[in-house]
Amino acid sequence: MAHDLGFWTLQALNALQLSMLLFLLSIGLTVIFGLMHFVNLAHGSLYALGAYFAASLAAIGGYWMGFFLAPVAVAGVGVLLYSRLIKRMRKSGPMAQVLVTFGLIFVLLDLTRIFWSDLALAIDVPALLSGRVELLGIEYPAYRLFIIVLGLAIFAALAFVLGRTQIGAMIRAGVDNDAMASCLGINVERLFFIVFCVGCALAGLAGVVAAPLLSVTPDMGLQILIPTLIVIVIGGLGSLKGAIAGSLIYGFVQTFGAVLAPQLASVLIYALLAAVLVIKPVGLFPAKG
Amino acid sequence: MFRHNALRCTVLVLLAAAALFQALTAGYFGLEILTEILILAILVLALDIAAGFGGMVSLCHGALMGVGAYAYAILSAKAGLAPPVAMAAAIVLTGSAAWIIGAICSRSHGIYFIMATLAFGQMAYSYVFEAPVFGGDDGLGGISRLDLSFIGVDLNDSRSFALFCLATLGAVYGASVLILRSGLGRSLAGVMHNEQRMRALGLTVWRVKADVFGLSGLIAGLAGALAAQHIMYISPGLLSWTVSGEALVVVILGGLGTLVGPLVGAAAFVLLKHELSALTPHWHLVVGVILIAVVMSRANGIFGWIEARWDGRAERRAVKAARKQKTKEVLSDA
Repeated sequence: MAHDLGFWTLQALNALQLSMLLFLLSIGLTVIFGLMHFVNLAHGSLYALGAYFAASLAAIGGYWMGFFLAPVAVAGVGVLLYSRLIKRMRKSGPMAQVLVTFGLIFVLLDLTRIFWSDLALAIDVPALLSGRVELLGIEYPAYRLFIIVLGLAIFAALAFVLGRTQIGAMIRAGVDNDAMASCLGINVERLFFIVFCVGCALAGLAGVVAAPLLSVTPDMGLQILIPTLIVIVIGGLGSLKGAIAGSLIYGFVQTFGAVLAPQLASVLIYALLAAVLVIKPVGLFPAKG
Repeated sequence: MFRHNALRCTVLVLLAAAALFQALTAGYFGLEILTEILILAILVLALDIAAGFGGMVSLCHGALMGVGAYAYAILSAKAGLAPPVAMAAAIVLTGSAAWIIGAICSRSHGIYFIMATLAFGQMAYSYVFEAPVFGGDDGLGGISRLDLSFIGVDLNDSRSFALFCLATLGAVYGASVLILRSGLGRSLAGVMHNEQRMRALGLTVWRVKADVFGLSGLIAGLAGALAAQHIMYISPGLLSWTVSGEALVVVILGGLGTLVGPLVGAAAFVLLKHELSALTPHWHLVVGVILIAVVMSRANGIFGWIEARWDGRAERRAVKAARKQKTKEVLSDA
């Protein structure tokens, strides 16, 4: 296979863009799990909701209105879910949580069908980002570059908040030992709530930025769920490092697998996941020990 | 260990009678629904053995069923094996695959076990979806049913096929009870309650888990081979993770670890699906709400709820009898 350097650069950028999208989704899920031991299978549905809110808002006030308001709306849905369901399911075992959120997938899927119908919606790329950018000797769509930059910016912001601020220290303490943290006077319950809302908002944001690239369909949440779960299980639950490492591994294996070994591409990532689980049953960078 | 009590026996007899009545009297559509229930029931029995009695909550049983279905289709239609041989081979193949999965996942617990099994299921799904041998997205058609003409049964008739599935389900139920009562089943109960202690007692825990998962896989493969013969056409959708999720939903709605409950759940689920999809295209919404309500109520499914009330009543009666006895004693003492 003789491809020039530009081709590989292009693939690397595509892989990076996929990784960043997955990172936005998986970071919320993984920190929610690490902090609350709560498995939220409906995280993908929140991503789909984000895309739908963005599509509706974009029709009213343009792309940027959707970009800023849709994550807030999704966080609002998160508040509702938290107060109605998740608070009560906190103490249940993982299976009950998996099932409740599996039921929630059904409910949210059909609700989006009722409100927005089955037809695929499309959002236009905003005018500001519609062109192509000259980068490393190739032309790359500005919008995809925007996703990469956004993902890296959010990673940097989260790394700063989690690593350098007081609330970050409190979250890390909660992930490490929530009983001890609450003995030390940290309101762990409120911390859970904040983290859950931020996680939902990030899932919504991922939906918003993905909407112009993919078409907005009711089952987009189901399609993204499995890659997100693979990312957090490979990376290890609960850690920022795990989420970014898992996303990069997934993005690059998937993209380069599709180029180098198209027949094996889809099996490759699952085989990798199985290998990780056999060698390190708790993932590469788990939050605890 | 699994035991039959009066309630379980009653429900079993009622279910069997209803299924038999339906199989003998229903028209074509009723028979199709009955067969669907019976095949789903075989699958959820397999899942209940692993999840309810072994704590191995698997999200790959749908995929295992799909492996059984595809193996049967390929072996009988493409490799030209006789249907009984193809069916036996498909079941053994699925069981071996499940044994390997069980062995690999035996070290994982809780959510990691769920994720690991999900990964294996998805691996099978995408392989079947991509490989040209399996017909990809289009699936495979032209699958023949077993030939039982030597005992005068024509399985291409839907009534005979429904009765055949009912008989198979009966046999699978009997086998499941035997498995759970065997030494292996008792070791499994021990592993589920306290894995550390069983290990300290010298049990090879991973072997127990892998063996049970393999047996469960055999049953799932059987369900798959039957499903392929029922619809005579298979598509990769059979292996999708939502099928495994639905199987888990059925087990939970019925009552985890009761063996009878999942049978009730299978019947309820298929009937609900058909009734609701006739009324509204959004039947998933209703099923989702019911699922959330059942799990939040903390009852162990429909059957578990009935059983808890039944036990509660029996207990109250015992307490009342004891109290009466006591009053009598007090009176006679006086």
